[in-house]
Amino acid sequence: MNKYILTLAFSLFFIVVAQATDPAFIAAMQKQLEAKKTIGTYEQSQEVTNGFLRIAEAADTEWLPLYYAALLKTEAAFRFDIDKDKSFDEAMELVKKAQKISADNSELTALEGYITMGKISIDPGSRGQSLSGKAMQLFGKAIKQDRENPRAVSLMSQMELGMADFFGNGPEKACGMARMSLELYKKEEAKITEEYILPTWGKMQADQVTAKCN
Amino acid sequence: MNPRLLLFIFFTLMQTQAFAQATVIGKVLDEKGLALPGANIQLKGSYDGASSAQDGTYQFETANLGDQVLIFKFLGFKSQEIALTLKPNFNEIQSIYLIEEITEMNAVTISAGTMEASDQGKSVVLKPLDIVTTPSAMGDIMGAFQTLPGTSTVGNDGRLFVRGGDASEVGIYIDGMRVGNAYGTTAGNVPTRTRFNPNLFKGTFFSTGGYSAEYGQALSSALALNTKDLSVRSQGDLSIMSIGGGYSHTLANEKQSITASANYFNLGPYQGLIKQEVDFEAAPNGWDLEVAAQKKTGDNGLLKVMARTESGGMKLWQPLPGTDRRVLVDLKNDYSYAQANWRTILKKDWMIFTGISYSRNFDKITYDSIKVERENKLMHLKGTAIKDFSDRLSAKFGIEHFIHLFSEKLINEGWERDFDDRETYLFTEWDFYLNKDLVFRGGLRGGLSSLTEESWLDPRVSVGYQLNDKGQLSFAAGSFHQLPVENFRVLNTNLQNSESNHLILNYLFTKDGFTLRAETFYKSYDNLVTFEGTMDDPQTLQNNGSGHAKGMDFFFRDQKTFKETDYWVTYSFVDSKRSFNQYQTEVQPSFAPKHNLSVVVKHFVPSLKSLIGASFAFNDGYTYTNPNVDNSDMNAKTKSYQNLSLSWSYLPKPNVIIHLACTNVLGRDNVFGYTYSPKANTEGIFEAIPQGQIAPRFLFIGVFLTFSKDKTANNLNNL
Repeated sequence: MNKYILTLAFSLFFIVVAQATDPAFIAAMQKQLEAKKTIGTYEQSQEVTNGFLRIAEAADTEWLPLYYAALLKTEAAFRFDIDKDKSFDEAMELVKKAQKISADNSELTALEGYITMGKISIDPGSRGQSLSGKAMQLFGKAIKQDRENPRAVSLMSQMELGMADFFGNGPEKACGMARMSLELYKKEEAKITEEYILPTWGKMQADQVTAKCN
Repeated sequence: MNPRLLLFIFFTLMQTQAFAQATVIGKVLDEKGLALPGANIQLKGSYDGASSAQDGTYQFETANLGDQVLIFKFLGFKSQEIALTLKPNFNEIQSIYLIEEITEMNAVTISAGTMEASDQGKSVVLKPLDIVTTPSAMGDIMGAFQTLPGTSTVGNDGRLFVRGGDASEVGIYIDGMRVGNAYGTTAGNVPTRTRFNPNLFKGTFFSTGGYSAEYGQALSSALALNTKDLSVRSQGDLSIMSIGGGYSHTLANEKQSITASANYFNLGPYQGLIKQEVDFEAAPNGWDLEVAAQKKTGDNGLLKVMARTESGGMKLWQPLPGTDRRVLVDLKNDYSYAQANWRTILKKDWMIFTGISYSRNFDKITYDSIKVERENKLMHLKGTAIKDFSDRLSAKFGIEHFIHLFSEKLINEGWERDFDDRETYLFTEWDFYLNKDLVFRGGLRGGLSSLTEESWLDPRVSVGYQLNDKGQLSFAAGSFHQLPVENFRVLNTNLQNSESNHLILNYLFTKDGFTLRAETFYKSYDNLVTFEGTMDDPQTLQNNGSGHAKGMDFFFRDQKTFKETDYWVTYSFVDSKRSFNQYQTEVQPSFAPKHNLSVVVKHFVPSLKSLIGASFAFNDGYTYTNPNVDNSDMNAKTKSYQNLSLSWSYLPKPNVIIHLACTNVLGRDNVFGYTYSPKANTEGIFEAIPQGQIAPRFLFIGVFLTFSKDKTANNLNNL
């Protein structure tokens, strides 16, 4: 009887460990991450989004596939001629779903802020006033959750730059933040291995901000 | 069983699965049988799957053979699952038809009679920000709505008049709860304002007829103001204005927020500088205190509490026509309003709402030597439940109870009269989507009044039909009941409901940056209150009046054609006649001008960090009774009303706004009617005094500052 329980416990343990570093999961994620790099049309973007959603469906305790699906929907709204509000709203839904799996996640909070930025960009005149405070608050929260998250800092610098432009102020504050984020990106790069599937994007945005700095 | 054997079988099975491969192909179509690209197809429990291509086909490989479940998913469509047995090599799956889900975003909405002001939503005509940036509005919610179709501006009143109805025919709600005495009490020709600050609200539904069974006791219009949800950050807001100032402070975290504010205004110093046409003994003045708090409850619940108290008054000399005498009018007003409401989503697609509100208005009016005190108390209890049976059918059920107490005292004489009414309502409303282009709504509202011992039933129906991508047609019809205003009811507590029936046909066209709205309507009036004598001394009040209003209105808004420019044009035609008050025959009421035009233009100048606005309002004049012509009623009309207002908002820093505005820039001497002396003079002429504006222009300067740890806090939303 004892042996029986031991075997059962062992196989349960095996299952738990297998899920945490499930090579099939990582392989599936890597396949979609590769495909993500070559997106040129909305159809391709949709295809990769679907790929991540399939992973999310099969591995329903993972936040990362939902995160990437949301990121793709956000980027699609910025890049392609589609119903932008709808795409941002769908992205937000996915982030909320991911937050149920992983609470207090700095990457998810930063993405929520990024989507909010997107919502503002559709109608800055009337949405800016109510949403820009919310976006800034989300970036602030993301930084608090993880001080090493370069995306939280670089997105905030972008937002700062936009507001400095609007009010005719100098870009100094935005520049400082962008430079700080570049430091963090450097740190992050050091961590990247072949199996690394966590978010690494955003350096380009930070570079865009620093390009406006002297 | 031997555990080792179990493991062995498990691994053997895994291996067989790993070796054989199957190809799955098929096609995804929509309801109409057209190819549906972008759908997600997946074998349940595995990573294997594919997206459907432009022609709806899909193909993928899998090593999972045997009994499987294939899932078809596409956002906005109902998911489907099919069970199948996969054999090695080639598996062709039957074509799958996905059915589109009907959501708020893709389905037609009923736009007949309704105008929405919010940040988002489909039938939005105004944004919350428009309320504060419309020059003629001077930050008053009603001022902004007076630029919308179906309304007419009555410049010496300030309240909202809709489609030939008087101001009492507009029911005002905050978060679904009725607000008693929503406007400040006023005297003479001093226009009133809404008591509530526009920055309390995140959105507004303004209906000019044919509205939901959720609202009653309003013959013409329902105005539903929705308060903001949780505040996002802690901040302080300071306002310094030419007419007063105020401070409000917000404390917020993710679960709850609270805002407390205090304001004081006094037009005295301003009137000291700029000459007024009205002789004020004490300029309009007042203070208010307000607390509003929001708290999240559970995952989907929100509790809101609001309380407000204010006090104000004015003292002015009113001239009497035909004499050199004037009368001193002294007005004092105390007002309190409190409400709490809670909404939450329950399991099985039930949404519930409960609320309670209370308002008390107390007026102390001295007219020469006559002293009057009036007290109006209204309590409203409400509960609603909404059930979504499917994406096609939803129902709303509600119950309401009102406790309404009114009393009036003549102080010197020691006379007092009052009434106490209890009203109970039940309502239900059903939405049925035949498909996403066609929706039917049916509602029924039943009411009961303890004072009039009367019960009544209001059926209402509406239909919305999407014509094409951008255009939609709606139709609404319904019956509406309203009890007479308090100062009539207290004289004759047997007065029954007045009645109105509405018919509305609406066309709405929206394309990014453009909105075109055209509406035509007919409404009937019955059992309006009539009396003998004058408005100051009504006798033998009874439900004897009737009438109608018909017309059409147009609204066009363009935010795209001109860079950084947003403008809207509204034209409303109203043909209204009714017998009411002292008018025993059907006449055109003074508050229902026939032709009404309004133009609002806003232009943002980035280099000046400024928003410049202009608004122009026109109507063809107000009817009045001129006893010098003949002895018929409403036999004359004033000259046309015209008002050009300008404003300039300047944002030097993210947390500072300077706002400058001027109404009636051209100084046109608008007249809203005439007061005649009751007796003819020696030449047989009734002498008249025009009811005009209290000053040709009104100038406003204000500085608004926001203090927050977050330096980027922007004040514009609190303008």
